[in-house]
Order: sequence, then structure tokens, then C-alpha cells
Amino acid sequence: MTARVAVLVFPGTNSEEETRDLLLDCGADARIVHWSESASLAYYDAFVLPGGFAYEDRIRAGAIAAHDAMLDVVIEAAQAGKLVMGICNGAQILLEAGLVPGSGEIRRPTAAFTHNAQGHFICERVLLRRTVAAERCAIAAALPEDALIPAWAAHGQGRLAASAAHLEEIERGGHVVFRYADARGATDAHLAPQGSALGAAALTNREGNVLAIMPHPERDAWNFNHLDRREGADVLAPSGGSVLFRSFVTALERW
Amino acid sequence: MRDLAVAELDDETLRARADALGLALRVDELRGIADRLGRAPSLVELYAFDAQWSEHCSYKSSRALLSHLPTKGADVVLGPAEDAGILHLGEHEGERYGIVIAHESHNHPSQVVPFEGAATGIGGIVRDVLCMGAEVVAVADPLRFGNVDPARPHQRAVARGVVDGIAAYGNAIGVPNLAGDCYFDPEFDDNVLVNVVALGLVKESQIIHSRVPKHGADFVLLLVGKATDASGFGGASFSSVALDARETESNKGAVQVPDPFLKNVIMRASYRVFSMLRARGIEVGFKDLGAGGIMGCSAELCSAGGFGAELDLDTVNVAVDHLLPEVIAVGETQERLLWALPEEIVDEVERIYNEEFSLPQVAQNARAVRIGRATAAQRYQLRHRGELVMDVPIDFLTGTVRDTLPAQPPAPPRERREHDLACERTLDDVLHATLAHRDVCSRAPLFRHYDAVVRGRTVIPRGEADAGVLAPIRGSQLAFALSVDGNPRIGRIDPERAAEHAVYEAVRNVVAVGAEPIGLTDCLNYGSPRDARQFGELVAGIDGLARSARALGLAYVSGNVSLYNAASDGHAIPASPIVACLGRLTDVSQCVTLALKEVGSRLYLVGETQRALGGSVLAALLSLRDEGVPAIDFERVLAEHRFLLAAARAGLLRSAHDISDGGLLVTLAEMSFACYPAQRAAIGIELDGLAGWSNVGRYESLFGEWGGIVVEVAERDVDRFEELAGALESVREIGTTIPQPILAFDDDAWEIDDLHRSWSRPLQELFP
Repeated sequence: MTARVAVLVFPGTNSEEETRDLLLDCGADARIVHWSESASLAYYDAFVLPGGFAYEDRIRAGAIAAHDAMLDVVIEAAQAGKLVMGICNGAQILLEAGLVPGSGEIRRPTAAFTHNAQGHFICERVLLRRTVAAERCAIAAALPEDALIPAWAAHGQGRLAASAAHLEEIERGGHVVFRYADARGATDAHLAPQGSALGAAALTNREGNVLAIMPHPERDAWNFNHLDRREGADVLAPSGGSVLFRSFVTALERW
Repeated sequence: MRDLAVAELDDETLRARADALGLALRVDELRGIADRLGRAPSLVELYAFDAQWSEHCSYKSSRALLSHLPTKGADVVLGPAEDAGILHLGEHEGERYGIVIAHESHNHPSQVVPFEGAATGIGGIVRDVLCMGAEVVAVADPLRFGNVDPARPHQRAVARGVVDGIAAYGNAIGVPNLAGDCYFDPEFDDNVLVNVVALGLVKESQIIHSRVPKHGADFVLLLVGKATDASGFGGASFSSVALDARETESNKGAVQVPDPFLKNVIMRASYRVFSMLRARGIEVGFKDLGAGGIMGCSAELCSAGGFGAELDLDTVNVAVDHLLPEVIAVGETQERLLWALPEEIVDEVERIYNEEFSLPQVAQNARAVRIGRATAAQRYQLRHRGELVMDVPIDFLTGTVRDTLPAQPPAPPRERREHDLACERTLDDVLHATLAHRDVCSRAPLFRHYDAVVRGRTVIPRGEADAGVLAPIRGSQLAFALSVDGNPRIGRIDPERAAEHAVYEAVRNVVAVGAEPIGLTDCLNYGSPRDARQFGELVAGIDGLARSARALGLAYVSGNVSLYNAASDGHAIPASPIVACLGRLTDVSQCVTLALKEVGSRLYLVGETQRALGGSVLAALLSLRDEGVPAIDFERVLAEHRFLLAAARAGLLRSAHDISDGGLLVTLAEMSFACYPAQRAAIGIELDGLAGWSNVGRYESLFGEWGGIVVEVAERDVDRFEELAGALESVREIGTTIPQPILAFDDDAWEIDDLHRSWSRPLQELFP
């Protein structure tokens, strides 16, 4: 049986459709589930938290959604080893929920994606490179080695911030799955367009079944999103950033 | 009932009383209302007529002129009659799809409270598109700011506030910002222009109209959205008078408060309602609450269907108690829409908004609530606390009002040069100054605030081609292109030609990405209609818009008129007709970006150089008193565009970029910048000597803004390209792409790197 993926919608979420569409195109059985339908969540095998402004980013981005009833289910699932991926606002929610990097208690975050260094929203093309071993994070495990993943940074709060001790723990524990890279694959911290600590674009938890990724690979994920570097003739086919979603689906199949 | 005893007051006293009430209605209009009603009008009635008969709602001085614009065509699904127009995009899986397009201004609110004014501009235009039954897929924003030099803190704060407001709203609702332009001119110091365009996708069989359907007597009026408060009272009238700095504070009450978070949820809930209605095949009416609030929306929704209306203001969900009935009736609280629904589905629609999407939990007392009915009787009636506070013939309220005003045609341009420009500044100096000019330099520091790619269907984001391109339908290769244009430097010296250039540039930009232009919208930003000279500029502008659209075989499907754009000293803004052009791509893979693609390509100019420099950046830099604006030969332009579209379809265009602000060298430099310093290797350009491609002088050829498009053709495609061009004379080879990162011309060669520095930085200090 194909694993079932729930794409969660909180009040203020805005990227649910493209996230669901890309999961479908990569072979997953994905459905959008609304906040008023949280009772149905128990039937799903994996969860994706898409981008947006859940609960209007009140207090901090993701802070209120981390206390939504849907997160009760997600937290339980993550602790049971199910795959959970949060993109952009979804990533912020996973950090606020304490699932990632997961060094503290649940809903007592030890790190946050917070206000960009420039103090405002930015929308830019970025490249990401995996900087941990394949087996470190199940969701990113099936990516081609040294792949540069195109994505869009589109956020006002995408700068990783934590105490020096927690940052060291994040670095040492191999939590930084993706870093911002240049076209040659170099990953220097200054390449993070919003000043993210460690040049981090994505973090995982200790167990590697939860991924919190700030940039949007799903917005540069079909040939029509990047006609100048399309792969093959079919303009509607997934390509580019879709490799991460394929890896997620591969992990689901193995799971 | 509180009323105004109009018949008992002399003109002077009546004027004073009306002013004290904040009514912009004229004395003769006040007397006309009292005569028609046969009694003293209530205050609620007066505020209702004040909104409904304002220039903003009634177009009373411009309506007759707007009838000159072409509005019909093969691709027009719905012309300018409702909240938005609709153009035919194409067919997919047996369904015809339309693109809903609306275009408005939010100039005065943005001047007074920039963040909220600009944000509610986006909010309002998005509702205009949503209420047609469409999914909102893109927004765009043409902006005109004042002089934003470092010593001008107020003008800088306004510019930043506007950009932040657009970003905050558009990003949160999750609609990509696809296009826009931006100019800076001291004549906008006291009156910025903030225009907004929104696009939606709709199946043509499932359009919802802004009227109660034919069989709709007794249809329920269901108000949806934010709880009504005291914000935005008098908005329509406020937009219809010139701004006075001393009154800025008192005007702030007229500005609305945005809530994009609530709007995000209302949009998604409305999409759910759309699919429920489609499944059940029920015809309904749906309309945005804009100017005139509940009153304006309900009156127009019902009268457009041939009905009257009765509403009970006590049923309206309010944010605060004890609101006056006129505030509930005509206040412009944001994030509200009005449905006209048959009784049998009202409960289900209420359930979707209030329970499934839990509006009351999303914002304080937000909800869907019944507030009245459409009636066969042709009256418009409002009750409040059991009292009938408004009872007027509905056609009197919503009918046409007209002012016939005198217009003085603009003076013909005074100075034209007969000879080529003799310029004392070096090419190098002029090129760097042009690239660094605020109307030319990179817009990235501004538009990077906006989400260009949410929804994942963006094909070409802003900055990568002359028009934004988006493929709105999952599983389909259909795509549309959008560009918005209007040059205030031309508007200042030649209002009629400014309109023609706005059309030409918007259409040219769409063609440059390989899309077929299918329709236009216009937003007419002018001064006071009560000043014959300023009104004459509007008359000339509409003539220019009409003539150029007819020549190109295009129609206007939506638009807006924004008058009284002037400072308190009466000095009007430059004539600012702003035009949006929508283009269609049946195969998205044929679209063309502006980045050079390979070394060894030939560059062609499609267009004719001209001597005229009027309205150019060069003229501004050199303070030239040249008022000759380049003429447009639309017959030739049409032939050029047909040829370019054929070449794009045949895959012969590797890149393309139009010639506009700053002229040809800027165009070439930007084509090189676009592949640099990004991931590709730099590609430079060697431009041929003038003799081969121009009949006019160096400066006119390199910096003139005569239009045209530069295209890159790969060496292997040159024969096919030239064969396709056939007898078209205005296609000339002007240069080649080279591996060195330089722009070379005659004895000059500029490092692309140096040029890029001049071009990329100027707006960074304003929008860090």
C-alpha cells in the first residue's frame, strides 16, 4: 500500500497546493488536510508542513501553530519515527515545536529561524548542498551525491539563531542537512542570503526522520519553472528542486 | 431620525452644514436629492449619495470619455462592466479558461498612510478578481514616487511604506507579484501613485457575475468577512478631492485597515464555496465591498440584476457597539464581500465560512451573516434599531450622474531639434549616469521584498524578462504574460503621446517574451477635472489610448480613473495613463527571457531609430529642452510584432529585450547583466558601427527611447530568421555576442562588471 502523506493547512498557510502537487508528481499519495479536519490525521503515514504565515506569524513565525492540535499528532508521529518535513513556515513550526534540532523538550525550542539580517522579507533564487552523510537524514538520503538543489528563499524570518552552545551542538551533531551554496558547490556561511547561522538552510533532528528546510524547492520544481535549464522536452515534468521530494517519497517507500 | 432640512436652508448655510458633516456633495446635488425624495434626506441617505455620486464611484466627469475606448474583441469574454474584465486564455481538457483582470489605483490612501494604503490597494483588487468566481493567481504594481534623495525623509518613508505594505499583504495571502514598474519624480512628492493589478483564473462556464441573477427576487444577501468597524468612513469621497497636507491627519480616518491573514482564509473558504456551487449548478451573485461599503455593494449588486434591496443594519457583525447607522452603511472596513444566494444554500455557505474555515476564530467576530434580501420592489431600504433610516428609489441611487466639464487641449510640444545632438559629455560618462539613473537602475532591491513564486506556477519572475510569465493551470502548457507601463517623463510634455507610449510599451514587453497580446487595462491617473487644462490632459490621454489600442487590434476590459492627483497648491502630477497588457502563450516552452544565452550569436534590432529625445532619461540628465517625443508608426509596429511572435514560435529567439528607459545601450547591458554574475559564464557584446543600422546621431541611437526590441539569434538560425523577416525593413543586425565580458562600440569598450556596479546599486540605499 502506498504511504499516505498529509499536507497540513493552518490558518494563514499559503503553499499547500504546489506542495501537494509536487508530492503527487513524485509518486506520493498526498492530500491537503485543514485545521478543522485534524481528527482525520491519525490515518496518515507522513506529514508535510508547507509554507505560509500560520497564525499570522504572531509572537514568532511558527510559535502559535506549534501549539495547534494538529501538532499533537505530528509530534507523536515524529517520536514514533514517521517522516515529517516542514518547508519555510513549516520549518519554523517544527523548530518552535522543539522537534528540530530536538535537543530540548517538546515545545521548548532551543533554536529558531528568525528575522532576516536585512530586517525584511526576501525573495531570491538559492542553491542548496547536502553537507551531511546520506544516512544522516532519511528524507534527504536518496539525493544524488553532491547534488546542488535549486530553490527559492522567500521568507522574512529565515535566519537560524540559537545560543553559541546550541549552535555548537547543532553543528557537532550533524543537524545541518543543507547549507546555502554557490554554483560551484562551495558552502560558505556568507552565502546565506539572510545571515543564517552556520550558513544553514535546513536542519534535521537526532534521529534524522524530521527535516526543517527554509527555502522552497517546490517553487523551482518543474521544467516550466526554469525553462533555460530544463531537463528533457516535457515542460510539465518535475525537475530541479523536485529531487528532494523524490528523495522524501523514496524514504517513504523504504519506511 | 437625524436628517438635513435641505429645503429650509439657503445655499450658504447648506454648504456650511454639508461641510461640517464632511459631505462632498454639491449644493445643487443636495437640493436634487431632497426634491426627488420629497422630504428632508436622512443623514444615512446623504452619506450614501455622497459615496455613490463621488467621482470615485460614479466616474461622473470621465464616463462619457471612457466610451471612446475600444472594449470588444475576439478574446474579450467580459468587458468593463463589472468588478473585473475577463480575457480568453485558451482551452484545456475541453474547458475554456479565462483570465480575470482588474486594475485600480490606491493613490490617496498610500500618500496619507503608505503601508496601510498600499496594502489595502492589493486587498481591494484581489477581492475584485475573487468575486468573479476566480482563483487569484497574480498581482502587479506600477509605482510613482517623489524625489527620494537622502535629504527627503518624508518621500523616502512613503516609498518604503508603500513597498512594505504591498509585500506584507501580497506575500501573506500567497499571490505571486509578477510585474510592475517604478519611477521617481519630484512632481509626485505630494501625491504618489500606487496602482495595482490582479489576475485570476476562471473556467468561462463558471463565471460569477456581480449581480443578483434574473430569478433572484428574495435572494438572501450574505455578508462575509471582517467585523464592520469605524475605519474607512468617507473613503470614496476622500479619493475624490485633492490632498491637503494640513488635513492629512483628519484624512487618516478615511483609510482602511488591512488584514491579509483573514483574507487568506476568506479566499480559501470562497474557493470551497465556488466548488460547492459548481457541483450543484446554482447561479448566484458575488461582489466585493469597496467604495461605499455595505450600501454601495448591496445597491449595485441588486440594481444590476433589476432588483431593489432591503437590509437590516442591526444584523451586521460589528467590531464595536454603538456604531452610527451611516458608518455601518457606508464605512469601508476591509476584507468583506457580499453574496446573493437562494435561501436553500445559505446555511451551507454559512457553515463553510463560519465552521469549516472558522472565520470567527480567525479574526474577532469575522463571519458570514445574513443582512438582507433582494426585492422586486425598486427601493433601496435600510433599517436600524427598527427605524427605516434610508428609503430611496434604487435607480436614483445607482443611476448615472454626469458632470459636463470644459477641457482645454494640451499645448503642442514647443521645442524640437532639427539636428543631431552635440553632447559635451563623453559616452562613458553618459552611459554610467544613465545606468545609475533612478528610472533605469536595477529594481531588484525593491521587488525582492515581494514573493514572486508562491503557488509554484511562476515561469518568469520579475527582472528576468520584459514581462512576468505564469502557467496557471496544472497539467496545461497554457501560460500568460503581464506587463504594466507608463512613462511620466513623457506624460509631462505630451499627454496624448504618453498614452500611446504606455500602450506601445506594455504590448512590446509582452511580445518580447514571445506572448501574443490579447487585451489591455488602463488606470488613468490625472489632476483635477475642474481645472480645464488638467481635464484636457485626460481627454487627450483617452484619445491616445483609444487610437493606439485600435491600431493594434486590442480592447480594454477593465480600468479605473483616479482624478484629483495634485498637491495642495493645485499643481497636478504629470499625466499618468498606466496600461497593463495581458499576453497569451499556448505553449509555455516558447517564452523568451532577456539573458543572453550563447557566444557567437547575432543581435538584431527590430525597430527604427529616431532623432526625438523628448521624455528620455538622456534629456533629463542633460536638461535638454526637447519636447519632441518619438512618434509611433503602429502599422510598422504591428508587422514587427507579428514577425517576432512567428520567430519566437519557431524557436529562433534565444533572448529578447525591449528598448525603453535609458535606450539601446541600457538594453544591451541588461541582457549581459542577466547572465552575469549568475551561474553562467559572462557573455559580452560587440555593437556594430552606427552606419549599418541608424540614420540618426550617436546619442539619439544609443540613448533615444524610440521603442523596438533587440533579439539574440544563434548563428545556426540566422538564415531562417532573415528569411522570416522577409521584406520587413526595420530588422537590422547590430552586433554579436562575444566571450569577453565587455560591451564594445567603436573605440569604446566597457567592462560589464563596471557597468553592473553603476546599475545595480542606486536603489540599494533606499531599499536596503
